[in-house]
Amino acid sequence: MVHPLDDTDYDVLNVVALKKMASAEVVAHDARIDIGTAERALAALADQGLLVLAGGMALPSDAAEPALRSTADTRYARLRTDDEIARLVDRFEPINTQFLTTMSAWQQVEVGGRKVTNDHSDPEYDGKIIDRVDRLVTRLQPLLDALAGFDPRFAGYPERFAAALAQIDAGRVEFVSSPTLDSAHTVWFEFHEDLLRTLGRERAE
Amino acid sequence: MAEVLAEGFNVFDTTKSPAGTVKYLESPSDVISLIRSGKLGEHILLVRGGTTTFLAPALSMGAIGVITMSGAPESHLGILSREFQTPCVMTAHLSSSESRYVVGDTDDAHFVEIAKALDGRRVRLDCTDHETGRVLADD
Repeated sequence: MVHPLDDTDYDVLNVVALKKMASAEVVAHDARIDIGTAERALAALADQGLLVLAGGMALPSDAAEPALRSTADTRYARLRTDDEIARLVDRFEPINTQFLTTMSAWQQVEVGGRKVTNDHSDPEYDGKIIDRVDRLVTRLQPLLDALAGFDPRFAGYPERFAAALAQIDAGRVEFVSSPTLDSAHTVWFEFHEDLLRTLGRERAE
Repeated sequence: MAEVLAEGFNVFDTTKSPAGTVKYLESPSDVISLIRSGKLGEHILLVRGGTTTFLAPALSMGAIGVITMSGAPESHLGILSREFQTPCVMTAHLSSSESRYVVGDTDDAHFVEIAKALDGRRVRLDCTDHETGRVLADD
């Protein structure tokens, strides 16, 4: 039997499950808790077999997803029946598709009918993509605001998007898509997965 | 040319042609075990889908090649493989089988057949073709 997670444990395990591998510092930052609380929660979740601690990092065990899913069913029952959320989520799907396409366009450019790796030597092309990322993140805001009304945890995403976009504006274009940074793509991906769990939905192929 | 065991979408063109023993990963614990074994670099990783997000730690820790049985190059895993420059063949199907992945209409037997045929095989990935990625026998 899967026991419901309390709010802190849910938030901590959720961060680990979203990142697939996370340090206590990152968990504390994204779960918006202090480091001591994060470390205690990680140790307790490891004792319950919900995550694995290795080399200073936490990784989700096979039991993590079922525990999160089961808790989310209760924790977000009211959110899942909210008409405004449903309307905004419906709008999100095409925006998400555009975002994935935009990321591919950032990584690859078409030359002579073939897609080749974008060497970022064309500032005009890159600038258009960055503008598109900016616009897509802006279009996400109403959904993020509505979700934050149900759970303040979601208020962390606009802050992380803003931080990534500020880095890009400062010329650090790796903050568009790098998987090892809190890039726009990293934050978007985690938000999408978090949203699906919150809604009790599966990721589509 | 070596026998083509399977082919699918090539996520990005690369002259990298990693070789290794195929390791089928079904769950996060499989990934954790592989990372802990210290033998990540000896394997071409086979997973079910482009949405198999639990593979991310393996990519960040040096996976040499990936095969998926569903998913598109535009998916999250496709984006990650390009970021890490890890050769990746997506929605691979067996050359010896008529079975093909169809979104929303593929039963388990399709995935089981591919996993059974490739898991444990010594293979090499050929990702030089613009459209098609190939899984070649390397034994």
